[in-house]
Order: sequence, then C-alpha cells, then structure tokens
Amino acid sequence: MKIFHLITIILASLAIVSCSKKKKGDYNLDPKETLRVNITTEPPSLDWNKSTDTTSAQIQDNIMEGLVEYDFSDPDLGLVGAIAKKWSAENDATDWTFELKKNVKWTDGIELTAQHFIDGWQRLLNPLTASEYAYFLYGIKGAREYNQGKIKDFAKVEAKAVDKYTIKVKLVGPQSYFPYLLTHHCTYPIRKEIIEKFGDNWTDPKNIVTNGPFKLKTWDHDKAIVLERNEIYYGEKPKIKNVLAYMIPEMSTAINLFDKGQIDAQLTLPSTELSVLKKREEHLESGILSLYYYGFNVKKKPMDNPLVRKAISLAINRNEVTKMLAGGQIPLTSWVPPGMFGYEAEIGTGFDIEKANKLLDEAGFKDRSKLQTITLGFNTNENHQRIAENVQAQLKKNLGINVELKNEEWKVYLNTLKVDPPHVFRMGWLADYPDPDNFLNLMTSYSDNNHTNWGNKDYDSLIEDAAKELDKGKRKDIYSKAQKILTELDVPVAPVFSSVVHSLVAKRVINFPNNSMNRYQYKRVELK
Amino acid sequence: MINEKQKSIMSGVVFTALLITLLISFFDAQHSMEVFIDHPEWWPPFWNGLLILDGVLVFGTFAWYAISQNLVFFVFKRVVEACLVLLVIATLTFTLLRVMPGGPFDQEKTLPPEVKANIEAKYNLNAPLLEQYKDYIFGILQGDLGESYKYLGRNVSDIITETLPVSFQLGLYALIISFAIGIPLGIFAASKHNTAWDNSAMFMAVSGVSLPSFLVAPIFIIIFAFWLDILPPAFWDGPSHYILPSFILGIRPAAVIARLTRASVLEVIRSDYIRTAKAKGLPQRVVLYRHVLKNSLIPVLTFSGPLVAGILSGSFIIELIFVVPGMGKHLIQSVTNRDYPLILGLTLLFSALLVFANLIVDLLYSYFDPRIKLS
Repeated sequence: MKIFHLITIILASLAIVSCSKKKKGDYNLDPKETLRVNITTEPPSLDWNKSTDTTSAQIQDNIMEGLVEYDFSDPDLGLVGAIAKKWSAENDATDWTFELKKNVKWTDGIELTAQHFIDGWQRLLNPLTASEYAYFLYGIKGAREYNQGKIKDFAKVEAKAVDKYTIKVKLVGPQSYFPYLLTHHCTYPIRKEIIEKFGDNWTDPKNIVTNGPFKLKTWDHDKAIVLERNEIYYGEKPKIKNVLAYMIPEMSTAINLFDKGQIDAQLTLPSTELSVLKKREEHLESGILSLYYYGFNVKKKPMDNPLVRKAISLAINRNEVTKMLAGGQIPLTSWVPPGMFGYEAEIGTGFDIEKANKLLDEAGFKDRSKLQTITLGFNTNENHQRIAENVQAQLKKNLGINVELKNEEWKVYLNTLKVDPPHVFRMGWLADYPDPDNFLNLMTSYSDNNHTNWGNKDYDSLIEDAAKELDKGKRKDIYSKAQKILTELDVPVAPVFSSVVHSLVAKRVINFPNNSMNRYQYKRVELK
Repeated sequence: MINEKQKSIMSGVVFTALLITLLISFFDAQHSMEVFIDHPEWWPPFWNGLLILDGVLVFGTFAWYAISQNLVFFVFKRVVEACLVLLVIATLTFTLLRVMPGGPFDQEKTLPPEVKANIEAKYNLNAPLLEQYKDYIFGILQGDLGESYKYLGRNVSDIITETLPVSFQLGLYALIISFAIGIPLGIFAASKHNTAWDNSAMFMAVSGVSLPSFLVAPIFIIIFAFWLDILPPAFWDGPSHYILPSFILGIRPAAVIARLTRASVLEVIRSDYIRTAKAKGLPQRVVLYRHVLKNSLIPVLTFSGPLVAGILSGSFIIELIFVVPGMGKHLIQSVTNRDYPLILGLTLLFSALLVFANLIVDLLYSYFDPRIKLS
C-alpha cells in the first residue's frame, strides 16, 4: 500500500508543479475595448431564419444587418436604410421596390447582392426549414402557398431580385407597414452555399459568414459568446473592439458580477429588489412596446354579457396595480401602448366604481349572490400572482364579485387557453414591429392569438382598411375607432399596463442602446 | 480467493488513477500547463487518453475483483436487468411526455396552422405514436438520441457530452468533500458519544441537512467574494472558482453521511469483536479505524449509490447561482420547454447512472464486508 501512496504523492506534486495561474474567463480580451453584457441564457440558435427568441436576436442584431433598421432617435420609431439605400411603394402599398447599397461585403469578402436576400426569404418560407417565423412574409404574393407546399417553384412567389441591387416585391394586398417586417432578423440575407456546405453547423464561428458591424469569434456553449469588430463592415466601424456576452441566468449572480466590475450591463433586474436598485446611478429604464391584459372568454356565462365585462374593466384601478408592482409600469386602458403611433391615453374604460355597479345591476345581477364565482387564470409566476391577487381584491371590494384564482404551468396554461379558457385570463403581447396593426390584428375574429372567442366584423374590416391606408392621419382615425370597439363597446379585453425594462449599465459605457423595441445593437457604444 | 495484499493493491491502483485525473481536472491543465499552452491541440488526445486509461484501470480492477470472487454471472445478470429497466423507463417517459398537456411548440404567439404543420412534419410529430416510439427506440439502439427542439441543430448527445463532464467534475469535488467531512465527523461524534462534542457535531449535521443551498450559497458568496474578497462569486474557470460551488453542493450529503456514520459506528462499537480488540490492548485509534470504520460503512455505501448518481448529473440551483455550464439546468429546463428528445435523453442517462452506481455499491458491499455474499 505504501508504494502507492508514494506514487500518488509524486504524481500529485507533478500535476501541481506543472500548473501555472492563468485565467481564461475573460477570453484574454482587453476590458478597455470590450463591452461585457449578460444575455442570460444560451441562445437556442444563431440561425436567423429559424430562431424566435430575444437572446438569439441580441447576437444576430450585432453580426447581421437587413434591408432597413429602426431610427431610435425618432419618437415615432421611423425607419432608416441599412443595406437598402432607398425604398418606395406603388399601387396603394402593394408593390414595393428596394434599392441596395453597393459594395457591401460579407465577412469573407464576397459582395452582398439582392439575390442573397431572396435566398434568405426562400429558405425562411421553405416548408422543410420549418421556420416558426415563416408567416412574417405571408404578405408576399404566393409566399403562404409556397410555405404550405401548394407551390413548389419559388419563382412563382412575387419576391424577385431584378438585378444585382434591386428587389421587387408584390404583396397580396396593401400593407403600409411592410418595411417594418424587414427589420426582423428572420428576413436577413443568407449565403445559401455556406448553409448547404456546413448543414446545421453553419452557425459555428469557424463557418458562419455575416455582414454586420461585428463578427462571431467564439461560441462557448452555456458560457459566453465573443464578438469581434468586423473590419470590412460597410458603415461606420464600431468604436469598441469586442462584445463579450455572458450567459448568466441568475439575476442576483449577475448583479454580484456587475458590482465586482466583471460585467458592464445587466439588462433585467429582479422586481423584488427594484426599489433599491432604482436609486443607483447606473440604473436605466425604458418603456417597451408591450401590453399586459386580461381577456374575457365571451362564450362563458356571465362573460357573454358585454355589460358584465365592461363593469369589470371599469372596476379595476390600474394605478393601484402599477403602484403595487412599483416597477414604473404605465397604467393602460387603451389597446395600443404608449410610445407607438396610434396611442391615445383616454381611450378605454377609466376607473369608475359607481358606473361599474350600475352596469352590473343593468345586466341583471342586482342581487350579487346570483353572480357565480368567476375564475381568473394565469400562468405560474410570482408577478402574475401578485397582480391577480390585487385584481381579485379590487373586484370583491368594488363590485362584490367573488373571484377564484387558478394558476397553471406555462405550457399547460397555453393549452388551457386553446381548449377552454377560464372566465378571465391573463395574457401579454410584445411588439414584433412598432405599428398598431401588430397589436390590433391580435383581436380580429380570425387571429389565432385571440383566445376570447369574440369576433366583430366591423372591427375586422377596420383593421383591414387601416393596413391599406398610407395617410398617417387617416390611419390613426381608423385605429382609434377600432380601439373604441375593443375597449369601450364590446370589451372582450381589459388592458392593464404597459411594461418598462430596468437595467444596470456601468458608468464607463456611453451610448448604450436603450429603446422601446428591446433591440440591442452595440455598434455605436463607446467605452470610457 | 483474493487475499488482503491483493485487495490493497487494487484499491491503491484505483485510488491513484482517480486522484491523478482529479488533480489534473482541478487545476484545469488545458489552460495552465505550459506544454499545452504552446500546443493546445495536444490536450484533447492527452486528456481523453488519460480518462480512458483511468476507465480501464477502474473497470479492470472491478472486473478482476468480480472474476476472482466468482461474481461474473451476478454482474452479467445485473447488466441485463439494467437494460430492461432502461427500456421500461424510456417507454414510460415517452408515454408520459405525450400525455402531458402543452406541446413543445406552444408559445405565447400562436403559430399559424401551416407553420405548425411544417414543424411537426420536420420532427416527425405528425406520425402515429407507435411509429414515433419505434423510431425513438431504434434511434437509441443506434446511439442517436435525436435533435433538441429548443437548441436548434444541436444533438442531445452533443449537449450531454458538453455539459456532463462539467457536472461530473463539480459532483466529484462535492462528493469528495462530503465524504471527507461526513465520515470523520460521524466517527468523531460516535467516539465522543453523548458529550458536548457529539451534540455540537450533530447540530452541525442537522443544520447542513436543513439549510437549503439557495440560502447557503448567497451567504457564502457575500462572505467569501465580497467581505473577504478571496473567492470569485461565479463562473467555472479554474481552481478558485471550484471551491464555493463544490463545498456548498457537498454540505448536505456530508451532513447525511455524518449522521449515518455515527449511528452505524455506535452500533458496531457494541459488538463482540470490538470488545475483543479492546481487550487485547489495541489503542482506541486502531480499534476505530481498522475494526469499527470498515464494518460501519455499509449504510453509508447504501446511501452513496443514489447520491453519486444524483450529484454527478448536476445540480440545478448550484449551477444556476454559480453560472456553472453543467447538465442540471437542462434537466429542469427541458421539461418546461417540453423538449422531448432532451428530456428523454437526460432521463435515460440519469437512470443509467443510478443503475450503474447501485451495481458498484453492491460489489463494494462484499468488498468491505466479506460476510455479504452476492450471487
């Protein structure tokens, strides 16, 4: 036995002696030229035709560029050209032409052409790709049929590269907001031959070819991603040399690392610690184009009566909810959230207990005991629970209605909404593109996201009319009418608030992107 | 039959092999040994070679032991049984997943039916259940666990090969810590039975069992990373990063082991052969370590089987808090994501670990206590 102990000790000392201290956690990057952010989790995929989540988008938006991008200096969130030099619409916003900038290079030196965009759109729509965002381009003539497999030949889809620098698109109908769809990563161009060559591994750092201000240098799964400045980027080159994106799921850990100076930006903060963190000078907040609402299942008694729905909406004091949450949320009665064209604060039912009680009496429930217990459903989450409890108490106090709460695990909850939604259910929406259409379309009778079972033909036709309208003033009027049907007349939904994101950004970071679309492009960031 | 000398040679070999691997993994040689900085490409063959050598040594020793003790048939029978158990587990998990409400592609923004149809066609989810089951089982037999639904383009086996070694490493350190603390503490408490020492040792053990790691971890981080500033608060980048997570993960099993050891030692200490040992004048230390300890390890061994499987396959909370890129996170998140292939793959892996660990424990029973006969 002794001899083995001796061997062990010798080998152990050898192992220790041969080691020297050397850190690799920072990937040998110079912190002075590196922006270190936390993207929270492993991006499920960097394939921009296939990914659907915000984590992947945070990386894709820095390594790729599409035809157009948001102008975040514009309060209405207009568009500016990215790869597109200019674009125009004809025939009531049905035919679109995009003219591309010349001499834009991919990271391997090949010039970017219009065909690369068409290849990307073809791949997005190809049924074999099975992309969840294929429907983004359903507006293009023939696109839906191609995705359904009814058309086999992509040449029959009306999106064409007419020459090296021009794209022409014909839509099924007028869509004034079409260019907004092209800000989304699923519509970015691709290099078909690269994807064919490497298959599923084409997004590995050694294979991927991109066109954005940064390029993918390292992808250390479940740990971090390193981006490096793209020296042949066509636009103004980024001031910082690297972006180091850590994947730290636990917020308190990330804040610890922030306090230690190991990360520069933490993009979400725990709601329970907000009151303390908000006082820090590194704290930033930004309203995002989002909506938190309660929907009513209009097929379930007593929610089939619009008077009852309206009474409930009137009896919820949104200010009380947002005050309780204390996260800077904006109370909301209208359907279009603040920060977006079409937002009108005064639309919707205000808070009026007297009127609410009167409506409930009118609905035949003067004797409140006749009114059955109402089920309020939400997915299991601490914040949803707090909000639901608050609303439960308000409805008891203000209307004398008994509400029972029912929470379910997320996927189970989604299934419940599909099969048999409760009387009242929680739901939310985050803008895909900053146009009221994205929010109002949700409640059309044919929308898959409308779980209320409510449908109104007038409402549907208003939404279709607005999409055709190019005149901003007229569009606003139409949306105003539609919102009134939704939140004042039929009331299948009761909007509650619009969210705000809170982040901590180190003082040394200048021009950190902080916007209502949650798009994090780091090309303009500077470090002190 | 095997004699005492051979036994100690065997344990020496296994011990040395494991220790060398452990030390190298602890000091993260890939990034710190001079020779590998100059030639990083030498690392994977070296490391894999070492692991294989280790595996051969450990398994070889077990095989030798099994053969010399006439246990070959026993082991063979257990392996066949294990395969059947795994098949039943695969079938049950497969069925339960399909019964569970909510599918992998359900999300806040409902997908148009044609998009959903394309996705289901791609993953063969539109095929009859029996056919899906058949494909899955044949896949496993060929070593293909399928592609994750969440991490597009990544195979379940890739995810396992990337994350399991990290969880394994963390688990191994935690295990060592838990045995290194638990057993001596148990013996100490038992030898000072019913004294203040015994009570305080058991108080420590009870605290270790009852304090949840999500509470202990932040406290340790505040103390060691902020107040004393001697250890990093997160990441898995080298020896200093290993200490906190391994220690916190090891506390609870250490406490359980301490209690088990104490109880078992107290029982053994009253037996006749211990009285004989004392009567012939052996010092207390020798009695404790040579006669009592070995005979009182059986309950600890029983506990070790599931413990090893559980701790090596990753800890959700510790990995989350310390940003350790291990497998524990996937065990939980794959279920929330309804990532069928990943759930199935991880369940099978966990079951295999459990079955295997129990088999080793059974073999160790007869090693530690020759009175136990396996057949």
